[in-house]
Amino acid sequence: MVVVVLPPILAAEAGGQSQVEVKATTVEEALGALPIVDRLFDEHGSLRSLVNIYVDGVDVRERGGLSGKLSGTETIRLVGAIAGG
Amino acid sequence: MALVVLAGTKKGLFLLRSDELRQGWTLDGPHLVGWSVYHAILDPRDGVLHACTNHEVYGATVHRSHDLGKTWEHAENLGLPDDSELTLERTWHVEPGHADQPGSLWLGAAPGVLFRSNDGGATWQTIEGLLAHPTRERWFPGAGGMCCHSIQLDPTNPNHFHVGISAAGVFRTDDGGEQWTPVNSGTAAEFLPDPYPEVGQCVHKLLRCAESPRLWQQNHCGVYRSDDGGDSWQRLDRNGLPSGFGFALALHPRDPDTAFVVPIEGAENRVTSGGRLGVYRTSDAGASWDLSMEGLPERAWTGVLREGMAFDSLDPFGLYLGAQSGSVFASADEGQTWTEIASQLPPVLSVEVGAWS
Repeated sequence: MVVVVLPPILAAEAGGQSQVEVKATTVEEALGALPIVDRLFDEHGSLRSLVNIYVDGVDVRERGGLSGKLSGTETIRLVGAIAGG
Repeated sequence: MALVVLAGTKKGLFLLRSDELRQGWTLDGPHLVGWSVYHAILDPRDGVLHACTNHEVYGATVHRSHDLGKTWEHAENLGLPDDSELTLERTWHVEPGHADQPGSLWLGAAPGVLFRSNDGGATWQTIEGLLAHPTRERWFPGAGGMCCHSIQLDPTNPNHFHVGISAAGVFRTDDGGEQWTPVNSGTAAEFLPDPYPEVGQCVHKLLRCAESPRLWQQNHCGVYRSDDGGDSWQRLDRNGLPSGFGFALALHPRDPDTAFVVPIEGAENRVTSGGRLGVYRTSDAGASWDLSMEGLPERAWTGVLREGMAFDSLDPFGLYLGAQSGSVFASADEGQTWTEIASQLPPVLSVEVGAWS
C-alpha cells in the first residue's frame, strides 16, 4: 500500500488521520483516493499552486509529475509551501 | 438564553459565550485551527455553525458544525463551473436562508459570485444569473479581491434580496436570483473616470433593516441609505463623520433610523480615523452622528474590517466589535459603553452573534 502523510491541517479535515493508506499506481491516483482531495486540487482539477508533493523524499516534479508511477510501497508527503503569514 | 459571539480570526475561530446579561464571557477556541475565518454564523433555525474558511495553500471552503464546534466538516467540491473560466478564490459571507426554507443557505465569495445550498451546506450551487451578469466585464477587483460579502434577504419575500460586491456594487433580485438589477444610483465611485457609473462602486458592507425595507451601506466612498430598495441612495457621511471610508456597519434591531459605523482614515491608510477606535452612531437616519468610545482604547491605530461589527436583538440590544489588533469589544447598552471581552487573539476578521435557548 502507498502511505500518504498529511500535514496537521489536512489531518484534521480527514477525521484526525495523519496518514492514509491507499492502493494506487500513480501519484495522481493516490491523491485522488484521499478524503481531502478537494483541498489539493481546485474545482478544475489543477493542483493548488502552493501544494508540494514528495514521494520517498523526492519532489514529484523530479520524478514524472502527478502521472509518475508508483510501485505500491512508497510514502507520499504533502507539504504546504511557505506562504502567507 | 445563551449567547455566543463568533470571532473569526486570521488563525481560527473563537467562541465567546455569555447569557442575556452579557456581563461575563468565557473564551473557547481556537476552532478550525490554521484556517482564516472570514465570517461565521450560528444558524438560528437549527443551531448549526457555518464558517467561511480560507487558506493560502489549501484554498477556500465552508465548514459546518452540528455540535457547537466539537467536530467540523467542509463542503463537498465547492467551486465554479469549468465554462465560467473562473476559479473560486475566497469565501466571504454565509447567510441563513429564508425562515420557511429549512436547509437553505447563501454563500458570497470571490470573484464576485454567489452560491446557494439546499442541504444545510453540504453542497452548493452557483447562481448563474450573477456569475454571467452582463456587466461583469466592468467589475474590477479591489484590494480585498472582488468579494460578494453582503447578502440581505427580505423576511417577507424569499425571492427578493440584495447582494453587495466590492468593486461591482449593489445588486437586487426579485425572482430568487435569476435576474439581477444593479442598484447603485447616487453612490460614488470616485476612483473611476465616471464617478457615478451603473456598476463598479465599491460597497464595503450592505445591511437591510430587520423591520423595514430600508438599506444602509458603508462604501469605499461614503455612507449611504436607501428607502426605495436601492433605486436611489442618499449620502450621509458628510453629516458629521470624520471620514467617509470604512468597512463595518451595524444597525438597531428594531429602529430603522439608527445605525453604527467605524470610520477608517482612508483608502491609503487603513487605520482607525484619528488614531482612535470610535463607533459613530446616528439615531436620525444619518442626519447627524455622535461618537461613542467609552470603554474603547483612547489611542488605537487598528482596523475594523467589513464583518467586524455585529448586533444582537435583545432589549437593550448589544453591539460587538472585533479589531485587527486581536481584541473583541462588547456593549450591552446599545453602544453607549464598551468592555473588552477578548484580547490577544489573532487579527479579528469577523464577529457575529448567535443565541439559543
